[in-house]
Amino acid sequence: MPVTPPRSLLELFLGFLSIGARSFGGVMPWAHRVIVEERRWMSPEEFTATIGLCQFLPGPNVGNASIVLGKKWFGLKGSIVAFLGFFGLPFVWVIVLASLYADFATAPGVKPVVIGVAAAGAGLFIGTAIKLGKPLARRPAALVVIAGCFIAVGIGRVSMLIVIPVALLISYLLARRGLL
Amino acid sequence: MNILVDLGLYFSLLSLLSVGGMPSVIPEMHRYVVESKGWISHSDFVEMFALGQAAPGPNVLIASLIGWKIAGVPGALVTLAAMCGPAAVLSFWVAGAWERLQGTPWRAVAQRAMAPMVVGLILSGGFVLATPGGHPDWRLWLIAAASAWTMVATKLNPLWMLAGGALAGAILL
Repeated sequence: MPVTPPRSLLELFLGFLSIGARSFGGVMPWAHRVIVEERRWMSPEEFTATIGLCQFLPGPNVGNASIVLGKKWFGLKGSIVAFLGFFGLPFVWVIVLASLYADFATAPGVKPVVIGVAAAGAGLFIGTAIKLGKPLARRPAALVVIAGCFIAVGIGRVSMLIVIPVALLISYLLARRGLL
Repeated sequence: MNILVDLGLYFSLLSLLSVGGMPSVIPEMHRYVVESKGWISHSDFVEMFALGQAAPGPNVLIASLIGWKIAGVPGALVTLAAMCGPAAVLSFWVAGAWERLQGTPWRAVAQRAMAPMVVGLILSGGFVLATPGGHPDWRLWLIAAASAWTMVATKLNPLWMLAGGALAGAILL
């Protein structure tokens, strides 16, 4: 399957616009659909490698992908165009949604529904943690790091500014000894 | 300090700490804006989280909604720019280096070292969101557990779990 990078900044913009606009229930599947399947800008392997990098870097994954891919094809201009295309529509409509919600928030029956959605969303985080954690569970050291982070951040409410450097240092030392 | 400046600086710091994406920094965001600064209540935080999850788009927009709740549209723009900016600059510069590091032992070690920490942080995010003020509520835990189980056991679009949460909320809460 031949792949062709976007030919113009407009094409890049519209591609990322359509990722942002359609991403109900998660952005990543739509990013794959648009970039690999519909527009064929890159091969599935290249896409996976790019996403691997963006998951490794801090920040929103697909937001970072817009920067990395925009740069790859058009330099700094490309990064800016892809980023704006990606965030433009979703940003506008979450703000519109929140403004509409503010008018309805006090109506009876609205709050329980929203709190229920949030609890389910919290469950999605827990589900994600389980999925990501499964392959790590064979190593006792990994379980200790997971539990330590959870106790410090989730229960102890210690600032991440302290927890992250400490956890990274411990994990790095464990990984170098082949324990992670 | 001006609240927008404070928001911008703090969220820029969170941007660089958000390994594993937005879910990892939810507990810290909550600690800062609800527990430490008292800008908004737990309930406001949770409502904005729910809207951000249910709306299409990247989940970093949860940060914008929290910024919006604290300081209106300027707050939303500042938090979005701050959450994305530093990470975007880093991505821009690192993109080339990462390809050169492919297959090097350093890269594999760094990736393995980060994984368990990210899992612990995302787990904390789920716990904090489902446990208002640190007080357990079995109804919220039940909804969260059902949604987590569905996600692990099936390939359903997560929107179904959110819809189930809405229904369960209307009945139980």
